[in-house]
Amino acid sequence: MSQPNRLASGGLIDRATPLAFTFDGRGYTGHPGDTLASALLANGVTLVGRSFKYHRPRGILTAGSEEPNALVELRTGARREPNVKATVAELYDGLEARSQNRFPSLSFDLLAVNQLASPVFVAGFYYKTFMWPAKLWEKLYEPLIRRAAGLGRAAEAADPDAYEKTTAHCDVLVIGGGPAGLSAALAAGRAGARVILADDDSVLGGRLLSDRLAVGEGSAAQWAASAAAELASLPDVTVLTRASVVGAYDGGVYGALERVSDHRATPLPHQPRQRFWRIVAKRCVLAAGALERPIPFGNNDTPGVMLAGAVRSYLNRFGVAPGKRAVVYANNDDAAKTVLDLTAAGCEIAAVVDASGDAPALAAAARSAGAPLIFGGAVVRAYGGQSVKGCAIADSRGRSFNVACDLVAVSGGWNPSIQIATHLGGRPVWDSPRSAFLPGSPPPGMDVAGAASGAFELAEAFAEGGRLGTEAAQECGYTAAPFDAPQTEPETDAVHGHGPWKPKTSRGKAFVDFQNDVTVKDVELAAREGFKSVEHLKRYTTLGMATDQGKTANVVGLALMAEITGRSIPDTGTTLTRPPFTPVAIGALGGAHRHKEFRPTRLPPSHFWAEEQGAAFVETGLWMRAAYFPRAGEADWLETTIREVNTVRTAVGVYDASTLGKIDVQGADAGVFLDRVYINGFSTMPVGKARYGVMLREDGFAMDDGTVARLSPTHYYVTTSTAHAAQAMRHLEYCRQWLWPELDVHLASITDQWAKYAIAGPRSRDVVTALVDDADVSDAGLPYLGVKEVTVGGGVKARLFRLSFSGEMAYELAVPARYGDATIRAIIAAGEPFGICPYGAEALAVMRIEKGHAAAAELNGTTTAFDLGLGGMMSKKKDYVGRVMAERGALTDPARPRLVGFKPVDRSARLRGGAHFIPREATPTADNDQGYMTSVAYSPSNGCWVGLGFLANGPERIGEIVRAVDPVRDGDVEVEVVAPVFVDPEGVRVRG
Amino acid sequence: MRIPCPYCGVRGVDEFSYLGDATLVRPDASVPNAEAAFADYVYLRDNPAGRHRELWQHAVGCQSWLVVTRDTRTHAIEQVEAARDIAAARASGAE
Amino acid sequence: MAEPLVARSAFRPHVAPLASPTGVAGVTLREAEGLTLASVAAFRGREAELADAVRAAYGIELPAGPKRVASGDVAFVGAGPGKWLAVSSGATDFAGLPAAVADQSDGRTVVRVSGPRARETLATLTAIDLHPRAFGVGDAALTHAASISIHLWQVVDAPTYEIAVFRTFAATFWRWMVEAAQSRGVEARHGG
Repeated sequence: MSQPNRLASGGLIDRATPLAFTFDGRGYTGHPGDTLASALLANGVTLVGRSFKYHRPRGILTAGSEEPNALVELRTGARREPNVKATVAELYDGLEARSQNRFPSLSFDLLAVNQLASPVFVAGFYYKTFMWPAKLWEKLYEPLIRRAAGLGRAAEAADPDAYEKTTAHCDVLVIGGGPAGLSAALAAGRAGARVILADDDSVLGGRLLSDRLAVGEGSAAQWAASAAAELASLPDVTVLTRASVVGAYDGGVYGALERVSDHRATPLPHQPRQRFWRIVAKRCVLAAGALERPIPFGNNDTPGVMLAGAVRSYLNRFGVAPGKRAVVYANNDDAAKTVLDLTAAGCEIAAVVDASGDAPALAAAARSAGAPLIFGGAVVRAYGGQSVKGCAIADSRGRSFNVACDLVAVSGGWNPSIQIATHLGGRPVWDSPRSAFLPGSPPPGMDVAGAASGAFELAEAFAEGGRLGTEAAQECGYTAAPFDAPQTEPETDAVHGHGPWKPKTSRGKAFVDFQNDVTVKDVELAAREGFKSVEHLKRYTTLGMATDQGKTANVVGLALMAEITGRSIPDTGTTLTRPPFTPVAIGALGGAHRHKEFRPTRLPPSHFWAEEQGAAFVETGLWMRAAYFPRAGEADWLETTIREVNTVRTAVGVYDASTLGKIDVQGADAGVFLDRVYINGFSTMPVGKARYGVMLREDGFAMDDGTVARLSPTHYYVTTSTAHAAQAMRHLEYCRQWLWPELDVHLASITDQWAKYAIAGPRSRDVVTALVDDADVSDAGLPYLGVKEVTVGGGVKARLFRLSFSGEMAYELAVPARYGDATIRAIIAAGEPFGICPYGAEALAVMRIEKGHAAAAELNGTTTAFDLGLGGMMSKKKDYVGRVMAERGALTDPARPRLVGFKPVDRSARLRGGAHFIPREATPTADNDQGYMTSVAYSPSNGCWVGLGFLANGPERIGEIVRAVDPVRDGDVEVEVVAPVFVDPEGVRVRG
Repeated sequence: MRIPCPYCGVRGVDEFSYLGDATLVRPDASVPNAEAAFADYVYLRDNPAGRHRELWQHAVGCQSWLVVTRDTRTHAIEQVEAARDIAAARASGAE
Repeated sequence: MAEPLVARSAFRPHVAPLASPTGVAGVTLREAEGLTLASVAAFRGREAELADAVRAAYGIELPAGPKRVASGDVAFVGAGPGKWLAVSSGATDFAGLPAAVADQSDGRTVVRVSGPRARETLATLTAIDLHPRAFGVGDAALTHAASISIHLWQVVDAPTYEIAVFRTFAATFWRWMVEAAQSRGVEARHGG
C-alpha cells in the first residue's frame, strides 16, 4: 500500500488530492499540505542524503528551515537546484527530487570510505595536510578535494525564471506567524496600524499547527486559521507567507525572501519565482519562535534520529508517524508532549530517557505511556546504519543495555530564534533558568516576543505578543486596545534543557554540526589544541559555518566547549550571526535587473537612425554610442574608421555629441563661479564666445575638461566629458552649496534637453548653411570659438557653436532632443552634395589623438594640467579649486611624465595603449619605467600608428627614441618621441 | 541606513553619496603658508569612533549637500542639516 | 530650403506599445505628450520676487517642500530647496520669470501611471512610500526607479502618478515599468 506511515486521520493535509512525485527516480504519492520530508516519511523513506565530509547516511532531523541533513536536489535541467531542504520544500504534483552527495547511489556510496579514514579527516585536517609539497596544491589536492566535497550540483543552464525586488513600508513588522506573532499582528492591525506579518511557512500558525493544544473554543490550529482570516480582512495588514525575513539592517530596514512560485513546478505566466522584499518598518516584533537542539550521542546522525518537536509536527500537522517504536531522549519536560502524541497516534514507546533527572512531566508521560523511564540516563549510541534499528542506553549508574526501536526522538531544550536580533551586533545573553541565549540588545525599534524571547509557554507567548503588538501600534500613534489573549490549557511541561552535552561513551561518531560533519571529538580536539574561544572553535572545526549557520549546532557546540574546559556557558560566549538567516539566491537580490537590464541604457537622440544605418555600437558608461558605420565591402572596423576619418579630413562628417554632459549655469555670479572652478577664466569672456576649460580636484590633479560658452552676461552653457558628467555636476553643486554659498549661481543639467551634432570637415560650413533657416555662419558671422542662437527646420530654436574636437573646421549644432532624430536625417540630406558621412566614436578617437586632445585616458586622475601640457592655461590672477596644490614643486617638476606624442620607428609597427616607456638600452624593469602610453590609433593622415603618452621630461625629449614595452602582450616597439599633434600643427584648419 | 533629508524626508542610503569630514574649512589661498594648510585640508582626516559630522549629497534626490551628524559605531543619525545653511552661517560669521 | 523637422517621442521606436491581454488593466502607462517643462531656480535674495511673479502670472503659491501646486494648465513641483520644475500642458513660456530658467521640455519625458495596481508596481522600482496616508495628490518626490533618477508626483487620488525621467533613460524606464507591470495586467501607450 502507498504511504504506509500515513496515519488514518488527522493532519492539515488534503487527503482527497493525491500528488505524485519522485525521489531518486522512484514514484511516490503525497498530498497538498505535505512537505517533501513529510511525504517521504509517509512513504517510509527515511534515508534521504549523504553527509558533506564522511558521506554518512542521513535522514530527516527537523521539520523546518533549520534542517541540516535532508538536503536534496529539486527539479531538473535549468531549474535544478541543489541543497533544497526537504523539510520546507512544499510538495507539488510532478515534483522531482534527487539525493545528493552520493556516488553511485544513495544506499551504496563509495565515498563513505571517507569515514574509515576519519582519523585524518578531523578538524584542522585541511590545515595540517596538503601542506607539502605546495606545488601539488593546484594540480592534485584541490581538484581531489573539490570532487569529494561540496553539496549538490548547480544547474548548468541559465536560470529561466524571473525575480522581483520590492519595497514595503509599514508601522509594525511582525516576524513569525506563530502564537506570539499572530497576537502581535492582530493587536497592531486591529488598531489600524500598517502591519506586515512575514512567516516562512506556507500556513500561519507556527507551533499551533504542530502541537495538540486547546486554544479558546477549539484547537490551536483552528485558532490560527481564524486569526489568519481576520488578518486577511484588515485592509492595512499585509500577510506574507512563504516569506523568510533574512536580515535586519540599519534604520529599521529588513530583508525578506518570498518564495512566490517555489511550491509550483514552474511559475505562473509573468510571475516571479521569488520576490525579495525590502521592508522599512517603524517598529518590529520578532516572534520567530525557537529551534530545538539535539543532544549528541554516538551515531546520532542515523536516519530515524529526529528532534522531539519535529516528531510532533509530523504526527499532528502532517498525519505521519515517523516511527512505530520510539525511544524518547530528552533533558527537559517539553518532550513529554512527544511521548503523549506518539502514544495517541498508536506508536509504541520503547523507553523514555530523562538525561536531566529533573523532568517530572516527562516522567509522568512515560508512566502514562507505560514505557520504561531511564532516570538520569543517556542514549549512548544508535545502531542500524541506514536507519535506526535500536539504541544503546546507559542508566544513571553506567549500566548499558540495548533497546530495539525505529525512531529516537531527542530534545536538548530549545534555542530562541534570536539570530535577526543580533544582526546589528547586539550580543545575546545567557539565561540560566531557561538554559538559553536571549536577545541582549536588539536593533532599535525591535521587540522580541514569544519563544524567541524565552516565553516558551503558549499562554506567555499569546500575552507577550499581544502586549508588544499593542505597544508597537501605540508607539506609531495609534489607539490600540489591550490584546485579549485566548484561553489556553496550562503547559506545566516547562522547557529548560540544561545539558549534559558530553556523551557518556566515545563509541560511534557523535555529531554536533550535522551539515558540516563536526563531531564531539572535533570540539575536544579544538579544546586540546588551544582553540577554546568560540570564534576559534568555529573557524577551526567549521562548526556553524554551513548553510544552516549552525542553527541546531552552535549552542550545543559551545555548551560542549564549556563543559570540556570547565567554564560556564556565558564565560565561553557565543558567536553572532550575519544576514541572511536562510540562504538567498543572488538572482533574488538582483531582481529584474540582470543581463542587459542590469543597468539602464542611455540612448542618444540619433540612436534609432544609427541602428537603421547598421552602426556598430559601443557602451560608454551607461551610453550606447555609435562606434562606426560600416559600409558594404569594408573588411573590418579599422577600414571603416579610416574611411570615416578621411571623409572628415577631406569633406565633411557628422557625429552625435549628445552624450557630453551639458550644464546650464545662470546667476549674477555665474562668471565668478566658473573662474573659481576652472583653471582659466570665464568672467571676462565676451558673450557669444566659447572656450576650452580644465577643472582640477582640490589636490591639484585634473578632474575634467570641456567647453564653456557664454550666452548672456549671466548665462553660461558648460559641457563636460561623457565619462565625468555626473562627477562634474556633483563637484559643481558641492562648490556652489558648500564652498561659496554666497554666490548667486544656479545649475541645471540639460544633457538630455539637447541633441547635439558635430559637423566637421572642410565642407562643414556648406552643410550648416544649408541647414539653418537664415543665419550668417561665415567666419564673420560665426568665427572660430563663437556661439549663436539660430533656428533650423523652419523655426526650431537651436544653438550653434564653432568648436572643433577633430581639428577640422567644425560646428556643433544643438537642437531640442525631440528633433534629434529628424535633425540627423536633415544633416545627412543637407550634406549629401558635399559627400557627408556619419562617423562614430572610433573615428572621433583617431582624430582627437591626431590633434593631441586629452580624453578620459589622459584625464585619468593621476595627471595634472602641467602634465597635460596645459600649464600655461593656469591663471595666476585668481584662486581656483586645486590651484595651491597644483603649484606644489613635485607637481610642476619637469621630470614628471608629461604628455607627448609617439610614432613607431618602424612605421609599419603597431602601438599598444598601456605600454611602458623604457630607455633604449635599459632592461624593462620598474626602476627603468619612464612613463606609459595612454592612447593609440592608426592615423590615416600619417600612414602609421600614432600614440599619446606621458614620458618623464617628455617635451624636452622630442626626437629621442625610446622603447614602448608591453609585457602583457609581449610588445616591445621602438618609438620616436614627437610633439603631441600629428595633423595641422599650426591649427589653421579649425579657423576655416 | 536611512538618512532624513531636510527637503525630501527620510530616504535609503542608496540615494546618497558620501564625501567625508564636514568640519574641514577650505583654507585661504592667499596666505603665505597656504600650501601647508591645503595639504592638511586635502589629506589629513580624523577617523573618530563615535560622533562624526560628515558631508553627504542627496545625489539621487534633491541634489542638496548635507551635513550629517552620525555615530560611526551605531550608524545612529543625530542631526541632518543643509550644508548650504551651515556654509552661509560660517561665511557670514567669518566676515 | 530646410524642411520642417518632425518631433519624436523618446519611446518611439525603442519600445513597442502594449495592450492589456485581459482587457482589465491593473496598471496603465501613458506618455504625457506636448508638455512644456522648465527648471526654475530663484536668484539669490530674489526669492520673494519669484514667488510674487508666479502668483501673479499663474495664481500659484510656490511650494516650499516636495509638493506640487497646480492651477489651470500650469503646475509647479518642488525640485529641491529654491528649485522647481514648472509643468504646463500648454505652450506656456516660463522664460520670463525672474529666475534661472532652463527649458526641460525635451530634457524630461513624463509618463502617467495609474490603475488599482499602480502602487504595487511602482514599489518594485522605487522605495517611496506611496500609501495614501503617506503620499497623496499634491505630493512629489525626487528619487530613483531602480537606478534611474525620477521626479514623481501624484495628480489623482485613484491613484494617478506622473513620473518625469531624463529623456535618454526613458526607453529603459518604460521597459522596466512594463516588465514590472506584466504580472499585474498592463496597458501601455506612448507617443509616436
